[in-house]
Parts: sequence; structure tokens; C-alpha cells
Amino acid sequence: MNIETFKYDNRVVRAFAIATSIWAVVGMLAGLLAAVELFLPGANLNLQYITFGRLRPLHTNAVIFAFVGNGMFMGIYYSLQRLCKARMFNDTLSWINFWGWNAIIVAAAISLPLGLTTSKEYAELEWPIDIAIALVWVVFCINLFGTIWKRREKHLYVAIWFYIATAITVAILHIVNSLEVPAGAFKSYSIYAGVQDALVQWWYGHNAVAFFLTTPYLGLMYYFLPKASGRPVFSYRLSIIHFWALIFIYIWAGPHHLLYTALPDWAQSLGMAFSIMLVAPSWGGMLNGLLTLRGAWDKVRQEPMLKFMVVAVTAYGMATLEGPMLSIKSVNSLSHYTDWTIAHVHTGALGWNGFLTFSMLYWLFPRLYRTDLYSVKLANWHFWLGLLGMMFYVVPMYWSGITQGLMWKQFTPDGFLQYPNFLETVLQLIPMYRLRAVGGSLYILGVLIGCYNLYKTARQGRFEPDTEAQAPALERSGHGAESGHRWLESKAGLLSVLATVAVLIGGAVEIIPMFVIQGNVPTISSVKPYSPLEVLGRDLYIREGCVGCHSQMIRPFRSETERYGEYSKAGEFVYDHPFLWGSKRTGPDLHRIGGKYPDAWHYNHMDDPRLTSPGSIMPRYPWLLTQKLETNSLPARIAALRKVGVPYPAGYEARAQKDLEKQAATIVQNLKAGMVKAESNREIIALIAYLQRLGTDIKAGQAPKTADLAPLPQTTVSLNP
Amino acid sequence: MIQNVLKETGGIGLFGIISICLFFTVFTGALIWTFLQKKSFLTTMESLPLSDGEITSELKGEAHHE
Ligand code: HEC
Repeated sequence: MNIETFKYDNRVVRAFAIATSIWAVVGMLAGLLAAVELFLPGANLNLQYITFGRLRPLHTNAVIFAFVGNGMFMGIYYSLQRLCKARMFNDTLSWINFWGWNAIIVAAAISLPLGLTTSKEYAELEWPIDIAIALVWVVFCINLFGTIWKRREKHLYVAIWFYIATAITVAILHIVNSLEVPAGAFKSYSIYAGVQDALVQWWYGHNAVAFFLTTPYLGLMYYFLPKASGRPVFSYRLSIIHFWALIFIYIWAGPHHLLYTALPDWAQSLGMAFSIMLVAPSWGGMLNGLLTLRGAWDKVRQEPMLKFMVVAVTAYGMATLEGPMLSIKSVNSLSHYTDWTIAHVHTGALGWNGFLTFSMLYWLFPRLYRTDLYSVKLANWHFWLGLLGMMFYVVPMYWSGITQGLMWKQFTPDGFLQYPNFLETVLQLIPMYRLRAVGGSLYILGVLIGCYNLYKTARQGRFEPDTEAQAPALERSGHGAESGHRWLESKAGLLSVLATVAVLIGGAVEIIPMFVIQGNVPTISSVKPYSPLEVLGRDLYIREGCVGCHSQMIRPFRSETERYGEYSKAGEFVYDHPFLWGSKRTGPDLHRIGGKYPDAWHYNHMDDPRLTSPGSIMPRYPWLLTQKLETNSLPARIAALRKVGVPYPAGYEARAQKDLEKQAATIVQNLKAGMVKAESNREIIALIAYLQRLGTDIKAGQAPKTADLAPLPQTTVSLNP
Repeated sequence: MIQNVLKETGGIGLFGIISICLFFTVFTGALIWTFLQKKSFLTTMESLPLSDGEITSELKGEAHHE
């Protein structure tokens, strides 16, 4: 046998490890500030860059793509080399992966506070960054498959399967969901509209959870858990079933984010059925992890790393039991739009991803630096603070979610809403929001102690840039005697193809019918494209991240139609590129806000919500009153919207500015009637135009009820070719 | 239930049935494969992460007991 000596690359692993630690602190602090703003709306110091609407995507992106993303690469680059008994395929590619990924994150950290966003959850970054993500991801894929190709271990361990599924699926998801038409360097419109955009987005959003936060981390669990406990995996058979069941079923479950919306029923039922099926493989995986520790529980008590791992795997089990439960329509009707969802995702993020990442870090640092962990005691402090922090985060959020969900639905014996004023249900939650911030702070304190501990560990050791290893060269001639599955599993290419097919089937069945069947989106003839001023107003709504607190999707329940008006129809959104249904109601639904208040009310409310709604936790937007509306890009925006299918007549760009000015002048008039003096070229005018248009199209033909309502813009009429 | 779901997709019934069949066939295939594996192979795979060929860790690794 030909024994070869080679070196594992530890440098890039260390780089990812440091990056994940730093981004953990940054991402969580952003989350903490966002949490504080929810009970102290002035906490942004009236700075537009860190208002809640812009901060929230910054927080989610930082935690998902910066913290977990770097953590995932750290674990994959470490374990892949050792499972393949080969150095990474190409060092340069490794470093392009590292610097490219982190440059993207820096770009996100700059562009999101500036309000450059597509508003699609976890896909907020604008098109130039989307392209960069695709390129870096391809580099990662080449490096991954290259390493697998030059491996010295014949069989692909199950962790590698999970990595392969991750690499392929994330690429597909990212590309399909990011298809957009640019309107300038930092602005684009999704090629999908309304219901279709919603479906594609949540097919993406759900599977980002599945294939970015779950499958790679399961692979890491299957590597680091046996490694750290010194025990073989409980059942390899179970791990294979876990893998196939998970990737097959996950991809179908996306529509559970859209239950009771204007999405067709069949898609909702499909999503619900597959979500419930997901419990089985998820729990199989959790048990496989926990049972690997059988007979090693004394070790768990001594080794902080294993403690983190046990809690992570348990949190995985809890989150994957809760997820299917939340997909049951009746449960969802209560939980959706409330803090229950927030509790659910933080069980996953803080428990599963967070604790698994720290577990890997505590295991890796002593090995990369050839020393012992600086302090086991501090690691235990981190563990207990983290656990306590999670409790203080999650429990108040359940409480808050269920409380508010019930209050929204409560009727008096005479059949009126018990809490007709939305704000009343918000004020009830403020104490919970405070407690949540305490929980988050405890968790972050733990993380800071962890970073200190890792830093000291590094200082006391000596970094080993390369680890020498030996293994026999792999004979590449095929043996005829291999049995079916071993043959399959030693063929990485075939495995990838099958995984891709599995993923595509689910995606296709969900998405294609939405595009080929006209009947799925019944058209409503009175629904017209937005006027130029409304387009700009809508883009401001997107820029400010109002969608982070406001839904635009009234579900067909009496409790909602009483509160908001007629429930939302699929046909009303055909010109919504992108859709803005939202997923959380920190404020009330806005789909029928048009015509509810006079223009002047909105002006004052946006200046300071507490003027019109005492106690409101909505942030102030004083800059909208002073900043000039940017109209130079209007022709580009109209052209881009036409390209994605909005029927603006040819050459409309030339007339758009005039229509805009006409409509702005009307609003200025209305404001004057409401005792507000405003200039017509301010951003607030566009926003008011958009808000007053929302949900009014199906009422077209009926005269406005009160004289002081903004008249429906004349310009929409002239849009008809 | 499946019938109902398919009916409402309005005309793509066949497409749906083919996909679901394909889904179940491949999945069943994977299950069968799994159960045809020899015990010896499974045992090797179960402990694959434990051997990484590191020279240094085999010499020094045991020095700092986890
Ligand atoms: C932190 C969450 C939050 C953000 C971000 C937010 N709002 Fe609100 N919004 C609220 C809350 C809470 C209320 C209810 C109390 C009130 O009227 O202020 C509300 C109420 C409203 C109302 C009145 C609804 C009604 O039916 O009475 C409008 C209109 C509105 N918001 C528009 C916006 C716009 C436009 C933006 C973005 C520029 C925005 N909001 C951003 C939380 C938020």
C-alpha cells in the first residue's frame, strides 16, 4: 500500500473561527438594540440608519449569514479535510471563499442601514451583492467537490452528504429567489409579483432555514459529536434515512409560511402535510445524536463542549417539533404574525445554531493552538448564562405571542371586537419586551465571556498552521463487487445529482403550477398599476423596512375583517413587485389603510406616532418630512417595472414626472386643509400617496366616504394603454 | 386528501401524480438500500470521524485528555 503524507490547512479554519466569533457579537448586539427599540422607540436617537425597520434585516443577516455562515464554513473546512483525508482542493479558493464571504457581509452591514434592500426576508441584499454571493458560493462548491474528488477515503461519510446537499440547494434557492430587474445600481424589482413572489420567497425562506441553518449543522453534528465524545455514531443507518427524508420533505414545506393568505388552498395543504411529516426525520436525527452519547454522560458533565452540544441537539428537537405544530392551520391562525414565531426561531438560532457553534469553537481552539482550554470554569459560566438567557428570551415571547393572538380574536358577547384599538394589544406586551431584552443581554454576556476564553486559549498556545497526516492513496479502479448503496455513496457525482433531483421535484411541484395556471391568480379588473408618486412611495416603504412591523395581508377571519376590512384577494397584488405581505404584526395590518385617515393624520403620525397614538412603539420618521424626494431615477424605475410585467404604456416615462407633480400637488392641498404646511417635493408626500392607495382598488367606483379623504389619484386612469 | 389537493391544482393533476410517485419511489429506494447494508460496513462508517490520519494528534492528542 502506498502511504502518503500530507497536511491539513488550519489557517483558513482559524480565519473562519475568528470571523464567526466577531460576527456573533455584532449580530447579537444589533438584535439587542432592535429589541430595546421595541419598548423604547427613541433608542435609535432618531437616526434613520438604525431605526427598527432597517436594523431588523441587519440583525437577521448578520446572525444567519455572518455568524452561522462563517461558523458553517469553519466546521466544514475542518471536518471535510479530515473526512476526506485530504487537504482542501485549492488554498487560493479557500481564501477567496473567506474574504469574498466576509466582504459580502461588510457590504450588507453598510447597505442595509442605508435602506438598500429588496425587502424579501433573508434575501434583502440588492442585486450587485446577490451576484457576488452567487460567485463566492460557486467558489465554495468547486472547493468542496474538488476536495471530495481528490480524497483518500473511499467512502463519503454522511456529514459530507449534508454538505453536498447544502451546497447545491443553497445555490438553486438563491438564484431562483433573487431573479430581479435592476433599476439603477442599488435598486431592483423582483420579476415575480404578489402571490407568486410570496410563494417563491417562502419556498426560499423556509429552505434557507432548512439548507443553511439546518443541513450543514447536522453534518457538523454528525462529525463533531462522535469526535468529541470519542464514540461512534449511534446508528449510521438512521443517519442515512435522516438525510434522505430530510432533504426530500423539507423542500415541500415552504407554503406553511402562507397559511390562510391569498395563496391557493392546494398549495397551503401541501405545505401543511409535508411540514407535519418533517417531525419524523428531525426527531430521528436528534435521537441519533443524543444516543451517540450513551455511556458517555460522565464526559458530558466534565466537558463544556459536550454540554453545549447536548443543548444544541435538544433545541433542534424542540424547534423541529414546534415547527410542524405551527404549520397546523388552526395553530397557525393564532400564532402567525405574533411573537410566537420570534420565540420559535430563537430556539433554533440561540439554541441549535448558537450552541453548536460555540461547542465547535471550544473544541477547535485548543486543537488549533495545541493547548488546553484556558478556563473550563469560564466556559461553564458561558454555558449557564447562555441557557438562562435563552429562557428569558423564549418564555416571554411565547407569553407575548399567545396573549396578543388571543386579544386580536377576542369578541364581546354582543359580537364586537373586545380590543378594537390595535395599540391596546401592543401595550400589553411591553413588559415581555423588556424581559426579552434582559434575556438577550445575558446571552450576549455569555458570548463575550466565551470570546475572552478563546482569546486567552489562543494566547497561551502556539498556532499550528498545518497538521501533518498520513493515509494510503485511494485506488481509483472500480470494483465490480460493490453493493448498491456503497457504490452510490462512493460516487459523489451521482449522489449530488440525486440530491438535486430530490430538491427540484419539491420546488417544481410547488412553484410551477402557480405560474402556468391562470386560475390560481384570479384577475380583478379594477386593480391598476401604481402611479409614479405611489411607486416612489412604495419604494420608501421598502427602504424604511415598514414590512418588518406591518403586514399587508388580511386573513379571511371575522376577527380580521372586522378590524381591517375586506380580506385580501390574490388578484389585488398582481402589480406588487416585490410582494409586501410581511410576516409580523408589531403594528396593525396596512392592506386597507388607504382612505382610513386624512393625509394630515399620516403626516403627523409619521413625524411622531405618539402625537396621534399615545404610547405607540412605532419609530419617528422626521427625516421623511425634510428629505427631498429623489425623482431622477423615476424613468429607470418605470422601465424596470414594465420589464417585469407592469403594463405602463410605451413612452410613459416621459409623462411620469408630470403625473407625479400633479398628484403631489393634490396631497399638498389636502394637507393644507388639515392645517399642515408641506412642500410638494418631500419624501413624505410620496409615502402618503402610497398609503392612501393601499387596498382601495377593489373599492373603485364607490365614492370616497368622507370629504377629507385623499381623492383617488387621477393618474392611475391615464395609465391604461 | 391527496385527491382533493390534486383536484384544486386545476389541470396539472397528472404532473402532481407523477411527482408524488417519483418522490415515493426514490425515497423507498433509499430506504431499501439502507437496509441492505452489511453490518461490517455500517460499523466502519459509524466510526469514520474518529480516525483522521493526523500524525500529531495521535502522538500529542492524548496528552490533553478531553
Ligand atoms: C417598530 C415597529 C414599527 C415600524 C418599523 C413601523 N410601524 Fe407603523 N405602527 C406600529 C405600531 C405599533 C402602530 C400602532 C400604533 C400607532 O398608530 O402608532 C403602527 C401604526 C401605523 C399606522 C396606522 C395604522 C392604523 O390602522 O391605525 C400606519 C399608517 C403606519 N404605522 C405606517 C408605517 C409606515 C409607513 C412605516 C415605515 C415607514 C411604519 N409604520 C413602520 C409599528 C411600527
